[in-house]
Amino acid sequence: MSMDQCHSTVGHPAKPAAKLRAAAHSQVGVTGRAYWRGLDDAADVPEFREWLEREFPAGASMIDGDTRRTFLKLMGASVALAGAATIPGCRRPDHKIMPYSRTVPEEVIPGKALYYATSMPLPGGGAEGLLVETHEGRPTKVEGNPLHPTNRGKSSLWSQASILELYDPDRLKDPIYVPSGADVARSWQDVSLWTREHFEKFVAKQGQGLVFLTDRRSSPALGVMQARVEERFPKARWFAYDAAGDDAAIEGSTIAFGRPMREVFKLENADVIVTLDRDLLMHDCGGNALPNCRGFAARRKLVSASDTMNRLYAVESSWTVTGAKADHRLRLSPSQVGVFAVALAKELLRQGVAGTGRLAEVLGRTNAGGAEIDGAVVAAIAKDLLAHRGRTLIAAGPTQSPEIHALVHALNSALGNVGSTVSYRPLPASESVLSSEAIAGAAEELASGRCDTIVCINVNPVYDAPASANFAAAFAKARERIVASVGDNETVAAATWRLPLAHALESWGDTEAVDGTLSPIQPMIAPLFGAKSELELLGILAGDENVDGYEIVRTVYRSRGPAGEGFEAWWRRSLHNGVFVAGEAPAAPPLGGADRAAQAMSTWRTPAAQLPGEQGLEVVFTTGNLGDGRFANCAWLQEIPDPVSKIAWDNAAMVSPATAERLGIEQTDPTDKKQKGRMIRLVVNGAEVTLPAWAVPGIAENTVVVPLGYGRTVCGHVGTGVGFNAYPIASGRHRRVASRAKIERAGDGPAWHNVSTTQSHGSMEGRAIVRESDLAAWSSFGADPFKGLSEEEKTRLTVDSYGNKRDLNFAERLGELSHTPANINAYTNPQRGLREPPSVSGGASLAAPSSETGTPPDFARGPQWGMSIDLNLCIGCNVCTVACQAENNIPVVGKIEVNKGREMHWIRVDRYFTGHDRHDPSPEVAFQPVACVHCENAPCETVCPVNATVHGPEGMNYMVYNRCIGTRYCANNCPYKVRRFNFFDYGVKKLNGEFIGKGAMDSVGATPANVNLIPPRLRERLDEITKLQMNPDVTVRSRGVMEKCTYCVQRVNEARIESKLKGLNAIPDGMVQTACQQACPTDAIVFGDIYDTTSEHAEAGGGKRMGSRVRAMRDSGRTYSLLGFLNTRPRTTYMLAVRNPNPELADADRKHMWEHPFEHGQGSEDAHEHAPGAGGGGGHTGVSPDSSNFDQDKAEQDSGYRLSLSVLGAHA
Amino acid sequence: MSSIPPDEITSGRLSGALRPDRAIAIDPRTGDGTLIDDPSLRPALVLSNRGFHDITETVCGYVEQRPGGWWLPVFGLVSTLAGVGTLMILYLLVTGVGVWGLNNQVDWAWDITNFVFWIGIGHAGTLISAILCLLKQKWRTSINRAAEAMTIFAVICAGTFPGIHVGRVWMIWMVFPIPNANGIWPNFRSPLLWDVFAVSTYFTVSLLFWYMGMIPDFATLRDRAVLRMRAASGPTVAPFINLRQDSLRAWIYGVLAMGWRFSTRHWQNYEKAYIMLAGVSTPLVLSVHSIVSFDFATSIVPGWHTTIFPPYFVAGAIFGGFAMVLGLMIPARELYPNMKELITLRHLENMAKIILVTGSMVGFAYFMEFFIAWYSGNQYESDVFVYNRLLPPFISEVLGLERSAPYWWAYWIMISCNVLSPQLFWFKRFRTSPMAIFAVSMAVTVGMWFERFVIIVTSIHRAFLPGEWGMFFPTPVDILTFVGTIGIFITLFMLFLRFLPAFAMSEIKNVLPQASPHPHHTAHAGQH
Repeated sequence: MSMDQCHSTVGHPAKPAAKLRAAAHSQVGVTGRAYWRGLDDAADVPEFREWLEREFPAGASMIDGDTRRTFLKLMGASVALAGAATIPGCRRPDHKIMPYSRTVPEEVIPGKALYYATSMPLPGGGAEGLLVETHEGRPTKVEGNPLHPTNRGKSSLWSQASILELYDPDRLKDPIYVPSGADVARSWQDVSLWTREHFEKFVAKQGQGLVFLTDRRSSPALGVMQARVEERFPKARWFAYDAAGDDAAIEGSTIAFGRPMREVFKLENADVIVTLDRDLLMHDCGGNALPNCRGFAARRKLVSASDTMNRLYAVESSWTVTGAKADHRLRLSPSQVGVFAVALAKELLRQGVAGTGRLAEVLGRTNAGGAEIDGAVVAAIAKDLLAHRGRTLIAAGPTQSPEIHALVHALNSALGNVGSTVSYRPLPASESVLSSEAIAGAAEELASGRCDTIVCINVNPVYDAPASANFAAAFAKARERIVASVGDNETVAAATWRLPLAHALESWGDTEAVDGTLSPIQPMIAPLFGAKSELELLGILAGDENVDGYEIVRTVYRSRGPAGEGFEAWWRRSLHNGVFVAGEAPAAPPLGGADRAAQAMSTWRTPAAQLPGEQGLEVVFTTGNLGDGRFANCAWLQEIPDPVSKIAWDNAAMVSPATAERLGIEQTDPTDKKQKGRMIRLVVNGAEVTLPAWAVPGIAENTVVVPLGYGRTVCGHVGTGVGFNAYPIASGRHRRVASRAKIERAGDGPAWHNVSTTQSHGSMEGRAIVRESDLAAWSSFGADPFKGLSEEEKTRLTVDSYGNKRDLNFAERLGELSHTPANINAYTNPQRGLREPPSVSGGASLAAPSSETGTPPDFARGPQWGMSIDLNLCIGCNVCTVACQAENNIPVVGKIEVNKGREMHWIRVDRYFTGHDRHDPSPEVAFQPVACVHCENAPCETVCPVNATVHGPEGMNYMVYNRCIGTRYCANNCPYKVRRFNFFDYGVKKLNGEFIGKGAMDSVGATPANVNLIPPRLRERLDEITKLQMNPDVTVRSRGVMEKCTYCVQRVNEARIESKLKGLNAIPDGMVQTACQQACPTDAIVFGDIYDTTSEHAEAGGGKRMGSRVRAMRDSGRTYSLLGFLNTRPRTTYMLAVRNPNPELADADRKHMWEHPFEHGQGSEDAHEHAPGAGGGGGHTGVSPDSSNFDQDKAEQDSGYRLSLSVLGAHA
Repeated sequence: MSSIPPDEITSGRLSGALRPDRAIAIDPRTGDGTLIDDPSLRPALVLSNRGFHDITETVCGYVEQRPGGWWLPVFGLVSTLAGVGTLMILYLLVTGVGVWGLNNQVDWAWDITNFVFWIGIGHAGTLISAILCLLKQKWRTSINRAAEAMTIFAVICAGTFPGIHVGRVWMIWMVFPIPNANGIWPNFRSPLLWDVFAVSTYFTVSLLFWYMGMIPDFATLRDRAVLRMRAASGPTVAPFINLRQDSLRAWIYGVLAMGWRFSTRHWQNYEKAYIMLAGVSTPLVLSVHSIVSFDFATSIVPGWHTTIFPPYFVAGAIFGGFAMVLGLMIPARELYPNMKELITLRHLENMAKIILVTGSMVGFAYFMEFFIAWYSGNQYESDVFVYNRLLPPFISEVLGLERSAPYWWAYWIMISCNVLSPQLFWFKRFRTSPMAIFAVSMAVTVGMWFERFVIIVTSIHRAFLPGEWGMFFPTPVDILTFVGTIGIFITLFMLFLRFLPAFAMSEIKNVLPQASPHPHHTAHAGQH
């Protein structure tokens, strides 16, 4: 079903004037607009005809004998009346009521979602396989396709957010030919006619003067169509271009293998991983990140104390989530990372790795080893790699030179990793071209005047070309500039033909995933704005008469599927599964890589000139949430913060605090919510960009990290003017890194820029919030945290001074629970003891004596829901946040509101830095997703005066929006601060929309920066188009009500109905997946019935286990309740994170902690600075002496408590 | 009862032309009415050796005579502020709570600060009327009426904030236990609901108390208007309207007097009712602010979850309320003729002593919070006090600490205004200087506002999880709403002085020496 269902639009091909484009969404359902152009048009309306037919004879007698003047008067009045009747507002729109059940397809049950498999091409190649939830023909939510080898049911930020892009009201709506004068909307028929005529001229010239500039996509069908176009115009130039592409990797693999190859990793096989400025887990090319996350997580899932883990070394210049998860993170500027790689190679060769050909000889001549590189560290890593030969992995990232990439390929081969942890697939020809060459070539063609007509498909070179290409000026030289794009952009604005492209969710197509899996793209809905797909556009350009995306794809796959009879069944099954052809195991790469790498390395010099320092800075260009900038109009992605800097709605030049101090560009007080960055000019090779500076601990010294994709000038309501465009200064051959940059104070303009972050405080302040330990300590004490204690000591520790026995597990012994006396309730908790209580985390250990357990209250039957979040698996990627946003109709609030601390995300990912202070040379990062934890003793419930937040019989804390009056008392009393208040009409009013009286306010210069300050009745409502995204199972909240995580109660209810219909006694474990759980790429979130003892689930190491998965998680020794000492008895529990440092690189303090993980006061004297109170504190507990992950020396803080006990004579 | 029209001397005195003869009035040993070292000597409660008639003339004169030239500009200013405040409230209701600076970390800030502040102000009146009445403190007579009025107006201002701070004000009826089709009752466990009951009860009883006390005085005003009406000499209400002001007064005050005829039976009933209402009000003085403190004390937020809160809040409320009484009465006695004879330095000194006592009590509470935070051994608790409130950045720097309190200035304003400034009252010089008392009472008013701000904002802005720490910054709407309620408060108070009997005439007459059955004491004593 589609918009075609709307009868008022059926049969009336819309011809809205282009100047009304912005308002086009509101014209749906309004008849007659097109008529009111003039009297001629108006006279042709049915009313007028009717009047002519019926009224005229009657009126004829009236004008008998009258003058011509009277006739004209009557005529004029009648026409005016007829016209007025058609003006919207004077007449109710003519809607006929037609029940959906009359026309509904057989399989559709109104109110019940249907799921279709499709796939999504990724910028730069690769794809994700999707499963799309549709309600009555309206896609509302995207999930990963469980059958697709890339996704396996999981999804990325970008696939989750693609649903919002589909319904973006700022998308291009009609083809527009600009030279015709006004921006008049055309039809695709016009486009076909015009192109046929125009391109016919080039056929004779074999395409001379034609230039095609497209993005890099992996799609066989597109390849076929491109071939057809090239066949028609053999002399046309075709450039494939990816603005944020990793050219160095292509060049590096060409050096190593003789042809461009792409790495496909199997992280599940890797014991030791070394990344060199490569973000394997979040921004890896072509959707590789999802399988990488899966493989990585498979080796980090610790269940019992005997389990092992992989070890990850990250050497990087900027923060990536990979670095945050690393067991050892070394921060080095990009050129130093290269030096490190060479040093590592030399050390490996020295320690005896074989099969490297001439490499040893060549490397022996290079002078690797900067002052910043510690030889002992390199030696230890090399030793570790050699010890796990064949089960290791080294990966180089986009800031590294091709030589280093080639060297890494050679090392992987020499270490025997090829085939086990890494394999290689040849890149398709379309993706093998270097982007920097492509854009330079295209610019050259344009500048030389050879290009008459340029066709840009899905690219935005006017925005993202380097300053050196001077693309915008060259682009204007082409006579005809045909730009096809899904969304509005800078290149579209400079075009002569603006062609709307269909979104991947509304068109036919196919994709090729990184591992070679071929998948269909199926339309979930007819194109919303009359757009054509890329395939169809190429069909038109190829001169085809009737182009139909479906037929194109089918034709392409005729040859790939079984011939004859079987094809139809295969085709249907492939569409159903979302997979045409599964990826094949790639063949072994050509040998001789080491020699080729040696050849390359022989010309590699320690980039002394590039060494950053006083003479210049190095700049790293990263792709953040907005990718290369194409996602800039997606409000969800704008509001999702960067995982580490936590900046939303902006980019900034990020530097380390020490570098910021040296350059005098520190931002304002970092604890301040109204944070400001100092505006600076970042100058590279004469080009410059002005943007705010921002200090982030843990970035390499003398390195500036700048996210790309911001600073769009033509984009839409959301993305226009957000952030700063760094593409002009990314002008090198390898665009992701630049050197010899300078930072200067910004001259003109404001000196400060408001930077909105979702988290202003980065230190845990010595509180046991995210708990971490090391594998060595877990292995020794995970099974028995009281190991090695005498009976007397054990008694002292397990029985507190009130006589409560407290069998704390490993994680709990690391936190407050080991210090606070057990809570003794004066009243029976209705949630307690209803059945056998789960044996974890503030559960049994802090439960009152079992004599209190009476018969279970009647209401407390059925499943008891709970969630477990494994902090060892969480990589902080924020996919849970955006998945939750999509599922639960969570509004975006915009930059100014984020700056005020009013973001609405129901699940947020807290990020904490650990280390001495913000100048700590090697800070670690810990992530913790926090949503409502559904406390059994919920502090929010008692304080609400109107009973708007109440407890459900299944352990959920319900939020009753209708009942809420918005006192916000619940949010104040929530220790987890997970409640979100609708301070304004976020949910129903348009973000950055218009309002009545804007003109008047503009004229006096009083337009408020925050449109929310305009009373909602005067503000533009949410677009009808945007509303189509809303999940019909979830309420859209009005202003003035509180909201929070519901454990996806709508999904639970659906599962309950479903299981009832199937005649099941209970909802089977795993039948309900919360949105965050479903999307989480590492499976860190598990949801289910915590009392379920009868289900069976597979364990990580093989074998079965009784009970629900969440129950098993809660039984683990790693599980603890966040702030459990408050006796809130949260249903969401966390599992402590474990790092696996190399014993050779751990210092004495850390090793001491492996033996005595629960000991206090082992820290150095420096650790005192976090301790409050006049007496100062001791050190930290836990593993790392310089980590403030763990609570501080409680002995010191407990002094008052102990004093009271001694006064009472109660102390043992 | 006297009903003689004002004689020439009195009217001259009321208009300020004639000054009372101080030589007769003031006992040389008690100076201007303040206490002296000799405990056997008590200064007169009303100076200038006034008679019963003088009291009637003076008090009724405030209502019947045109006020001085200062009145209109001042009233214009404060009523404009009241108007601005009303507009801000309207804007808030139309647009959303987001026009204030609140956020998801700090969900209450100025709204509840202002609520608790005004409720605290509202405590002095009932304390003076009820508790001091029961304790037979005769010096209360000349300040109780104004203090009660202040209570009413402060509670009106206070009640505004919980009403408008909610997100959906149109659904606020749901806090009342109204039987409805949904069968949903309010949550009786919520302290906010207790607030609803406590504040509305307090307001009702205070209003009754205030009104009942005024009935005899309304009757006096009625009778005087009737007499002048019969003389038919007064001005008309407005040009072209043949309605004399005195007729209007007689009618309005007549309705308000509810048929009071000064009969002995009336007086007997009145006295009984008065003492009963005083008895009913006394526990309310203690309960209202205790219950307001439960909003915080029953929560689990460090800095709020404090068992010391109920007595600490009550002491603070009396402290702040007395400061506000002084802040209003000291300018009034300068501006209104003869008011200094009724509100003497002795009154001021007594109130200064109460401020000193209650100020020291809150100071003790502030100290105890720190002690308990340390004694509990709870890191979250001590962090709130040390790192959210106490430590200024420059001290942190000296101590080499990473953290400091962003709102340290608020905390130190509170300490210096509430704990340090009242300590001046240990010295008689300051205790008996209206200027010094006024300065301290203003400081205390500011300090008490900051006390509530410190309790509310500094506790929640950095609570348990550092990942969700935030800051609160007031918006212009925040500020103007608060300033607007000050305007509403002073506007109402000025209207009270202008149209209602600002002193309890009969009670003042009771404490005059003439009322004493021991005539030989009349020279210098009014009370033992």
